Amino acid sequence: MDTLIDLGGGFASALEPLSLAFALLGVLLGTVVGVLPGIGPISAIAILIPVSFGMEPVHGLILLCGIYYGSMYGGSITATLIKTPGEVASAVTAIEGYEMARRGRGKAALATAAIGSFLAGTLAIIGLTFLSPVLVKLANVFGSTEYFLLMATALLLASTMSSGSRAKALISIFIGLAVGLVGLDFQTGLPRQTFGMSLLSDGIDFTIFAMALFAIPEAIRNLALGRGAKDVIQSFGDDRWMTKQDWQRSAMPWARGSVLGFIIGILPGVGPSLASFMSYIMEKRISKRKSEFGHGAIEGVAGPEAANNAGVGGAMIPLFSLGIPGSATTALLLFVFTMYGLQPGPLIFRDESGLIWTIIASMYIGNVALIILNLPLVGVFVKLLKMPKEILFSSILVLVAIGAYAIEFSLFGLMLLGIFGVIGYLMDKGGIPLAPSILALVLVPLLEDNFRRMLQISGGSFMPLLTRPVSLSIIVLMVLGIVGPIIFRWWVRRRQLLADVSVA
Amino acid sequence: MRTLTPALRGDVITGIAVTLVGAVYYIATFWIQETKNIVTPATFPAIVGIALIVLGLFLVGQALYRSRKLAEVVPSGTTSAGRASASGGAGADASEGVVGVESAGVVLDAPEEPKSKQVVLQFALFFIYLGILIPVGFLLSTAAFLMTMTSIYAPHRWVRNLIFSVLFSVIIYVAFVYGLAVYLPVGILG
Repeated sequence: MDTLIDLGGGFASALEPLSLAFALLGVLLGTVVGVLPGIGPISAIAILIPVSFGMEPVHGLILLCGIYYGSMYGGSITATLIKTPGEVASAVTAIEGYEMARRGRGKAALATAAIGSFLAGTLAIIGLTFLSPVLVKLANVFGSTEYFLLMATALLLASTMSSGSRAKALISIFIGLAVGLVGLDFQTGLPRQTFGMSLLSDGIDFTIFAMALFAIPEAIRNLALGRGAKDVIQSFGDDRWMTKQDWQRSAMPWARGSVLGFIIGILPGVGPSLASFMSYIMEKRISKRKSEFGHGAIEGVAGPEAANNAGVGGAMIPLFSLGIPGSATTALLLFVFTMYGLQPGPLIFRDESGLIWTIIASMYIGNVALIILNLPLVGVFVKLLKMPKEILFSSILVLVAIGAYAIEFSLFGLMLLGIFGVIGYLMDKGGIPLAPSILALVLVPLLEDNFRRMLQISGGSFMPLLTRPVSLSIIVLMVLGIVGPIIFRWWVRRRQLLADVSVA
Repeated sequence: MRTLTPALRGDVITGIAVTLVGAVYYIATFWIQETKNIVTPATFPAIVGIALIVLGLFLVGQALYRSRKLAEVVPSGTTSAGRASASGGAGADASEGVVGVESAGVVLDAPEEPKSKQVVLQFALFFIYLGILIPVGFLLSTAAFLMTMTSIYAPHRWVRNLIFSVLFSVIIYVAFVYGLAVYLPVGILG
């Protein structure tokens, strides 16, 4: 009941004209930026963080949450019509959605994505509304031991559950940690890893790192490709949105995707991208129309898109109630919170309860806004796809330069941006994923702080990890989470081998 | 090295680079002042440095091991077949641009790779822009940067490029300075 009262209060202030305007603006801005080819939610938020600098915390956060939602949907449009996913999460949409568009079913693909996103997003926020207060109560028994463990789990899961090489994902995490440790040690005030440069003693700014990694490599790559690489934009096809059959075929994937995405989203360190992949694989496995997959199966759009958006809501739960981001994008949001001097976690629900409930309420509004604005306006957004690449990507380079300038007001900050742009490009070329390092960079101060406190309290012993019941349970879950998939994979491989043998 | 497929050779290079970065990072921890805390300021950086060294070496080892296994399966000389089986079989880990989850394998097209010379040129131009942004000022340097970038790409559309470069610079300047109160450098115009 308390929760409903809190939420009611949140709605009261989220529906104030200015808050409402920022929620709508965020969704619109997010969609516009998300539609731009090669720009996914992470890049969109990273590029737009400087815009929120001078705002009231509540407005800035409402705006950025709206941008998050909007850019996810914008990314689906791009994936469907030109097969250029802005990030891994919409990569599967680029398979089925694009095939649907090629068959003249573009409108149906976009509609099932939008409706699925809306339903799953709203369900996930309902989950967020009622689960967060529970988790906050639970968090009261958490000490530094548990926090350290949870953050280590987040980083471990981010590397083991990513799509691609685990070693490379781990390298990405350690690069993020390495960057995060540069600067003055907050406990002793001693300079660390500054290589004698006093300018580095303030540390490396998170936004500069995020912008450099997520905007520059993509922009430079596209500009360097030069002419010739022209995207083929699929038309919408016929003007039917969704047929009765489309609705029937989408309903269950939406439901399954929502549940799957929500659960995966809650796990620390595992973002929505994995959710959309898992949903795609699941839909393909249980479908009666397996042969349609890869040729425009609507289930392959409905499920992953729902999972993706449910994952966003799910990932907000550990962020809000524990202060632990579940993915690179929520790590960016955590950074924005701290930029405003707010620390998400149990305390924020006590001290800033008005603010946090306003943000939660604005997410409901943002989801409604998304579907009201985007289905009718999709034709307008598609025009953005025709924007010449040289104009798009050179503008992005200018925007990140402004962002870096607005943070440091110095040549040093601008040069850091450029240097990390080069590092990001090289990482990308070497196949090292960029997102885990962002998560690591945000987590490193908390990780180290809790590690130190844990050992100080215990006098240097690691025993509390095993003797405290809560931490022991986390360890058990962590082992299951890491060993489980390995056993599962082994089992699948064995079954395939057996199947091969029996065929032969 | 001759038997390495491009993806595996890339892994060897990446691994060596990561190892070197880790080594430099670890050596840099020697300059951190020692304290008597249980966890000293150098503890975490040292762990990170060592982890990078280990992971880099692991990547090199993994790539060499895979290429040896590949060489056993595919007789030397038919490297193109080896390449194909590398990106089809164990490829989810080894080759870039391919995304796979579990065994169901969702394979995406690898993005097109630009020429290195072009990449270096684009980065050089970007660094020049970053360098002149403050002394020359936002408006002039941005207009010049945008004009250069768009003209490399589409030289024949110079009128459009010019209009875009000037308009974009002015609009962004006005939006940031008057809308968001972020004061951009005025430089020589100031």
